[in-house]
Amino acid sequence: MTRKTSCHKTTVKMLLTGWLAAMMLSAGNASAELLIRITEGANSAIPVSVVPFAESGAMPPGDKVSSIVQGDLTMSGEFRTLEPSKMLSLPSKGSDVYFRDWRMLGQRYVLVGELTRSGDRVQARYELFDVNQEKRILGETAAAGVGSVRTLAHHISDRIYEAITGEPGVFSTKLAYVTVSGEGDQMRYRLQVSDVDGKRANIRLESREPILSPAWSPDGKKLAYVSFETGKPAIYVHELSSGQRDKVADFPGLNSAPAWSEDGKSLLMTLSRDGNAEIYQMDLASRKTTKLTNHWAIDTEPAWDYANKGIYFTSDRSGGPQIYFMERPGAEPRRITFGSRYNARPRPDNKGEYVYYVHQRDRAFHIARTNLKTGDESIITRTESDESPSVSPNGRLLIYATGQNGASVLTVVSADGGAAYSLPAADGDVREPAWGPITR
Amino acid sequence: MKLSFSTKVFAMVLSAGLVAGCSSTGENMEDEAYGSDVQAIGGDDGSTVYGGDDGDGVSSGVLSDEERQAAREQAEQQALRDITTFYFDFDTSEIKQEARDVLVAHARYLADNPRQQVRLEGHADDRGTKEYNLALGERRANAIQRFLIVNGASRGQMETVSYGEEKPAVRGTSDSARAQNRRVELIFQ
Amino acid sequence: MKGHERETISTDTPPWKSPVVLSVALHVLLLVIALAGWSWTNPVQEPEPRSISARLVSPEPKPSPVVDEQDQRDKEEERRLQEEKERQQAEAERKRQQEEARRKEAEEQARKREQERKQQEAKARELAEQQAREKEAARQKAEAEAKERARQKAEQEQRAREEAKRKAEEEQRRREEAERQRQEQQAREEAERKRKEAERRLKEQQLEALAEQARQEREAEARRQQEAAAARAREARMLSDSEKYQALIRDRLTQVWYPPSSATENMVARLQITLLPTGELANVRLVSSSGNTAFDNSALGAARSLNRYPVPDDRDTFERYFRQFTIEFNPQRLR
Repeated sequence: MTRKTSCHKTTVKMLLTGWLAAMMLSAGNASAELLIRITEGANSAIPVSVVPFAESGAMPPGDKVSSIVQGDLTMSGEFRTLEPSKMLSLPSKGSDVYFRDWRMLGQRYVLVGELTRSGDRVQARYELFDVNQEKRILGETAAAGVGSVRTLAHHISDRIYEAITGEPGVFSTKLAYVTVSGEGDQMRYRLQVSDVDGKRANIRLESREPILSPAWSPDGKKLAYVSFETGKPAIYVHELSSGQRDKVADFPGLNSAPAWSEDGKSLLMTLSRDGNAEIYQMDLASRKTTKLTNHWAIDTEPAWDYANKGIYFTSDRSGGPQIYFMERPGAEPRRITFGSRYNARPRPDNKGEYVYYVHQRDRAFHIARTNLKTGDESIITRTESDESPSVSPNGRLLIYATGQNGASVLTVVSADGGAAYSLPAADGDVREPAWGPITR
Repeated sequence: MKLSFSTKVFAMVLSAGLVAGCSSTGENMEDEAYGSDVQAIGGDDGSTVYGGDDGDGVSSGVLSDEERQAAREQAEQQALRDITTFYFDFDTSEIKQEARDVLVAHARYLADNPRQQVRLEGHADDRGTKEYNLALGERRANAIQRFLIVNGASRGQMETVSYGEEKPAVRGTSDSARAQNRRVELIFQ
Repeated sequence: MKGHERETISTDTPPWKSPVVLSVALHVLLLVIALAGWSWTNPVQEPEPRSISARLVSPEPKPSPVVDEQDQRDKEEERRLQEEKERQQAEAERKRQQEEARRKEAEEQARKREQERKQQEAKARELAEQQAREKEAARQKAEAEAKERARQKAEQEQRAREEAKRKAEEEQRRREEAERQRQEQQAREEAERKRKEAERRLKEQQLEALAEQARQEREAEARRQQEAAAARAREARMLSDSEKYQALIRDRLTQVWYPPSSATENMVARLQITLLPTGELANVRLVSSSGNTAFDNSALGAARSLNRYPVPDDRDTFERYFRQFTIEFNPQRLR
């Protein structure tokens, strides 16, 4: 090769390198805009201010609407409310809201409103503002009878929750649960229905014998439960508005663990009339039963998943209780839980995302959940003798019973185990909570 | 019926043995403590071990060996039948070895008295879920029932019911309380 | 008429004179016209019917002769004549009527024959047409076949030509290839010679050139590196500043963003942020929605909640990176 050729080659090389370098350098300051990615947010509750509503006219006694709303939003675990004593002003309508004040207080949303009494009605006008965008995102009126101020307040909480999160609120739903008090001859079991915050509790059944497993019909009008009032467990369906009830299952052996189908026309239940505990489906109109499991093991605690139309249940066919899933009634069951020797009482969230259940870890019993898509399991409670999980209808909250100072109390946690909120302790034991459906 | 002093002591020791076995936290009962008592009782003729006064005991010179033997056996059986509660380990319905003799005694008694009715009540401790415990209590009662039938009782004499964790014998969350709640009770009607 | 016509056409009777010839000629004319596709009503003159030998002439009654003295005789004669005349009239009348009848019959027959003739004509036309069509079809078929044969022939010829052409080209290529190789070979040999020469020369000059080259390269390299370093330093400073401030902004926004509980890892909201050099927000704009209003609002709220964005002091860096930029909100690792 000639000297000239090698010279040429070197020159070419230098030019190429220089060109590449120039390209790379210029790519660094290319015309593409800077992009900042935010992949997580504050893991804390959203700061919200519920300003005490202005009142005109005589208000009925009892908690104020704004304090009920404040309690609801706090219970959800998703909001942190500002104490009214810290508010710089108390506006009751949009034109009085100085957004800078609320920004300084670090608030994201402000709720203002006014209550007006007219005759036997109370009307609320309320507005919700986004502090940073300085715009109103909700402005409505609602009214209720003077005896139903709590209902009005819970409705407002639902509307706010929905406006901010996009999900339906559960503050107007009901809870059913069993309380036990007294000793010996004085022992009383009571089936009660209350607001989601434990208030306005009504006794629906009182008995000297145990009451178990209350289950809400999907339309919120009936409760099915197990009662020992005849000396052995039998299943009743109890219509709440009339108080009328039917004993639907009283076969030899067990009659327990009722669970409603989505159309409200049938119940899953555990019967042992064939010799051992199996899961059956009973058509309520005809009282005809169909046997869904057929195994010498204990099969109990069935629950419909309204999202994927299958049935979860507990079975100890592999030696100890585990969660199983049938894709349709009577199909071959598939095991869901593996990570512990005791997993029982499945409750799917009816959104197809998770199933919740009682889970033993070492000597403690927690509530855990399994992600139905990934199969990942995680424990969501820190308490240690947990039972009876029940998921809220929007899948965001979970209520369960746990031992506290020797008695059983109800606790609400967010579905991922974040915030926790204990319902005000009652007399004696409170157990077997069942979260009622959203009925609009 | 009158029980001799030695029989009463023997019954107490037996009960103590059973309870002692139940209050252990391990999966297995300690067999040795109980077994040694059995051995001791089987090995001697009563008076040597328990010594002391037998004021209302047998006047040894009067009965024959066979009669003494038969009386002893009957007393033993009656003592066994004083035990009407059977305990279980956590999450199992397996009948413990030492309960078998007692159950056999009950079965024989039921077989001999066909009009005798008995109610078997199954229970569980408070750990775990209520509905599963309800089924577990039933399974325990059924296990006892089957054993009795195999050993001579008839099904028509027996009624089973389960209370799950709803009617504990002992309130509390200690291991010993829980151990006493995992049981089947025989209620003779 | 038809009968006559038929006989005229089908039998080889020698040509008649006049009226028949005329009729034949007219009929031939018809045929020709029919062949030509015309149809017309033919006001053919009626040729003479064979069955009637003479034209019907109705004898005019002779005028009665003038009568003179021979009256009696004449009267008788007259009477006789009159009788005769009447008889003749009657006869004539009868004849006339006969003739009339015959004429009518003849007309009828003529009409019938005309009808028949017309039918025959039509049939003949049809036949002629059909024959014509068949002929045409046959002709076309023959034509087509001829065309096809011609086409095939042309194709064959074409192929033959192409083949010949290809062969020629191949031949050409072979020749060219051979030529090229020969030339290459020559070139190689030539190059080899030259190379050896150059090598010798090169070795002589290398020592000199080496030194020179090395010196030049070192200088060039030093210059390049200096420049590159300066550029990199500038860039790095801007980049590191911008990265530092990006991280600061990211941290601040993370602290103030409250994604709604319904947020999923699929949701992405993009905002375009415009800042003032002080870091204050000049404008926020949603450029790409996540499809979920609550999520979008949470992003907008977060962006607007910062009173002052941390931005670098250096104006160049600010202008390049932070005057206007995009923030993308997309939650990962949801619990």
